[in-house]
Amino acid sequence: MTWVIKLIMFVCIVPSVTLMYMLGFSKNPGKKKMIFGVRDNPKFHKGKGLEKFEAIVASARKGGLIITAIVVILSVIMLFLPVTGGTLLAWILLVFALFLVAVPYGKGNTELKDLKKELGITKSGVTYTDLSNASVVHALKLPWIILPNALAVLGTAAAVLIDLGVFGITPAVEKYALTVMSLSFLFIAAIIIPIAVMMDNSRNMVISRDSNINANYSRAKKKTWADLFISFSWVNALYLIANNVLMFFTDSEAAVLISTLGYTAVIMVVVVIGVINQRQVEGRYERDTELELQDDDDNWILGMFYYNPNDTRLNVEKRLGYGATVNIAHPAGKVIAVLTAVILIVSLILIVYLNATGQMEASDMINLP
Amino acid sequence: MIIGIDEYSDVPIYMQIRNQIVMGISSGELKPGEQLPTVRALALEIGINTMTVSKTYQLLKQEGYIMTDRKNGARVRENITQSGVISEENKLQLRRIVSEARLSGVGKDALKKLIDEFY
Repeated sequence: MTWVIKLIMFVCIVPSVTLMYMLGFSKNPGKKKMIFGVRDNPKFHKGKGLEKFEAIVASARKGGLIITAIVVILSVIMLFLPVTGGTLLAWILLVFALFLVAVPYGKGNTELKDLKKELGITKSGVTYTDLSNASVVHALKLPWIILPNALAVLGTAAAVLIDLGVFGITPAVEKYALTVMSLSFLFIAAIIIPIAVMMDNSRNMVISRDSNINANYSRAKKKTWADLFISFSWVNALYLIANNVLMFFTDSEAAVLISTLGYTAVIMVVVVIGVINQRQVEGRYERDTELELQDDDDNWILGMFYYNPNDTRLNVEKRLGYGATVNIAHPAGKVIAVLTAVILIVSLILIVYLNATGQMEASDMINLP
Repeated sequence: MIIGIDEYSDVPIYMQIRNQIVMGISSGELKPGEQLPTVRALALEIGINTMTVSKTYQLLKQEGYIMTDRKNGARVRENITQSGVISEENKLQLRRIVSEARLSGVGKDALKKLIDEFY
């Protein structure tokens, strides 16, 4: 049954790394508004700028492709290796290796910023705001996201009551296993709602002098986000309930693993559909974009991390991939950034420690029939 | 109506917003009685402090271009008082612009044409 664990890891890693490469290293960077988080400039496409620009882009794309290919090839090889403490550690390290794809992206960003200075490109542009649309464009219908998450709460409450013996029935799995599993998925639900609301309240984009175009563009983008979070919530809630039912009737870890594989696969499909929808919206409104936006490239560290003490917003639109990122200069942004870094580092240390002490080797997952 | 904020400009942000709202009212882009965003919403959209937007709205209210109340927020005034005179400050600005235009070799007719265009 260990093949299921391998498939879960494979389904998580391969689509993620492929998406990261596709989003970060566009085939036609000259046609994009942003290249490695740097705003495109006409000076990149003529004279001495063109040669250097092409060299930087080619070098970064090559780096990104090599790392992506290594991660994919290693994932395929790992599929054929038995699951041991060592290979489980290798799988988890491969998940962390996804971040390596950002290295050539960051290198490309730094080199393009240097090229800007070399070509004498000075900061320019303005921040546009549409008075007609300020805070009135929304796409998230709260009941639609509350409903699935309320179901998740009900599912968790049922699990807790069963484990406490309120109903006088005993699940097939060990005591409190239902509660722990349900709470972990309820935790995801608790994160989804504030993020969905935050994305729906994010700043409206101004791409045109026509307020209707701006409103439609912002609404279309917010709609894709709302759909993504609502779908995510339904998948999460339904999985929580289905998993509870499964664990109530059977103590089979294999069955739980297979359902987790299904959950992971469906989540990946939901994410991919979300990205495709976002790209379609961007493509649809590309020809309507007529306003030059403010050059704030220097506020984007490596083109990925936003640091702007003069901006009071907490969340801003990402430059690598789709979605929002936090302004690290914002007080709450600092807390989020530090917490994220701590969680990543601690989990990495913990995984290496568990493997070094042989605890990973002894885990139930590896010793499944 | 679209407003643009230039962070690299010497003109303070509250004044940039004020100037563009005044131009919007004058050009008809902002209609009499039209609702303006709340202080919080506009500050969030531009990414500036709410105090800056509040300062702009206070100034516009003092100058008689908008009216604010707790219930309806900020709205463009239905009837803006027309004094029929140009303020001393604006006269100075105009004088500076005319002087610079003359020094740049711009003729009086070209300036008048520009005024006709903007009026």
